Amino acid sequence: MWLELIFCFIATIAFGIIFNIPLRLVWWGGLIGMTAWFIYSSLPYFGWSSVFAAAAAAFTAAFLSHLLARFRRVPVTTFTIPGIIPLVPGGRAYSTMLAFVEEDYYNGLQLGVETVLQAGAIAAGLVFALSIFSIGKGVGQRYETNR
Amino acid sequence: MEKAEQIMEGCLLGGKLMLRYGAETYRVEDTMTRMSRSAGMQEVSSFVTTTGIFLAFRTKEGQELMQMIRVRERFQDLSKVTSVNQVSREFTHGELTIEETIQRLKDIEHAPMNYPLWLIYLASGIGGAAFSYLMGGSAFDVLPAFIGGLITTVSLVLYQAYLKVKFFSEFLAAFTGSIAAVLMVYSGFGINVDQVIIGALIPLVPGIPLTNSVRDLMSGDLVAGVARGAEAGVSSLSIAAGVAVSLSILYIT
Repeated sequence: MWLELIFCFIATIAFGIIFNIPLRLVWWGGLIGMTAWFIYSSLPYFGWSSVFAAAAAAFTAAFLSHLLARFRRVPVTTFTIPGIIPLVPGGRAYSTMLAFVEEDYYNGLQLGVETVLQAGAIAAGLVFALSIFSIGKGVGQRYETNR
Repeated sequence: MEKAEQIMEGCLLGGKLMLRYGAETYRVEDTMTRMSRSAGMQEVSSFVTTTGIFLAFRTKEGQELMQMIRVRERFQDLSKVTSVNQVSREFTHGELTIEETIQRLKDIEHAPMNYPLWLIYLASGIGGAAFSYLMGGSAFDVLPAFIGGLITTVSLVLYQAYLKVKFFSEFLAAFTGSIAAVLMVYSGFGINVDQVIIGALIPLVPGIPLTNSVRDLMSGDLVAGVARGAEAGVSSLSIAAGVAVSLSILYIT
């Protein structure tokens, strides 16, 4: 577990460098990515599905990123982008492609749906954190209640 | 009158830099609106899509100005977004004049990348290696994944420099990376082909379009959000096609 966390820290920092994030902010991104990976890998032990774990981890990562961005006065993407990279369903996407290449369409569809669900879960986590931080300044919809 | 045109130039330059180096649409619109409001302009409206910027305002004397620029190239360089953000913040607080702002923005535009290219190659190797360990858990495949990630990013940069075709070079880079991974595993250098291929391809993940698409859709910029989502989708599809082609070659022979 510790080894995984250290590897995740290194991976997130490396991705920060790939996305050209300033060196003084890369370390925070690494910590956020590590937290996200810890949540994502430990929640399934308590019987949560991996999709739900991905959503919870993405929510935590985005929440921490927004807090840090307020605190350091930088665009929030500098923290969110490396923070959610460890959650990207790379392995499942690869297995999907492998199944389709092997003409095993049934398994391919199943794995593809799992991949899409996990990507959607990450998006949902991002959206929840963003909604919390944009209470009171979002865009209006459907009914004009303020006049 | 000179001043209004200078402010227009400064705002558009800031917005162009932000959009080009991977900021969200919402942030570009917000930055330009704040900058022109703080310079005393009225009825400011800005409209930004993924590939173009419109900005219109009215000066105190009642002169209307409106300009649009097209952003053709988009790179991933978040440090430039951070510095433009800092400059616009200082301008909005009145710490910089418009001439200084334009000068600093031009400096940012002409500055080289934050990190040298070799460090980015090295980082994508390390990122691939660490990610392949997270996915598979076998320590023997960390070194081939490192080499695979390195090969993928080097070939991506080379293809983009010589071919200048975005999605096709991503396809070719994914193809090169996965062929290299497969060859390494078959020559007895790695054990799990899955883990090495995932590690080699993970630096290609379109992280900025994916995150920005969610952000744009949420803040009501539907055109830009859908466009970014389509960009991320086509990128992912071309990477997947690269892997699929190399795996099919592998399974035929």
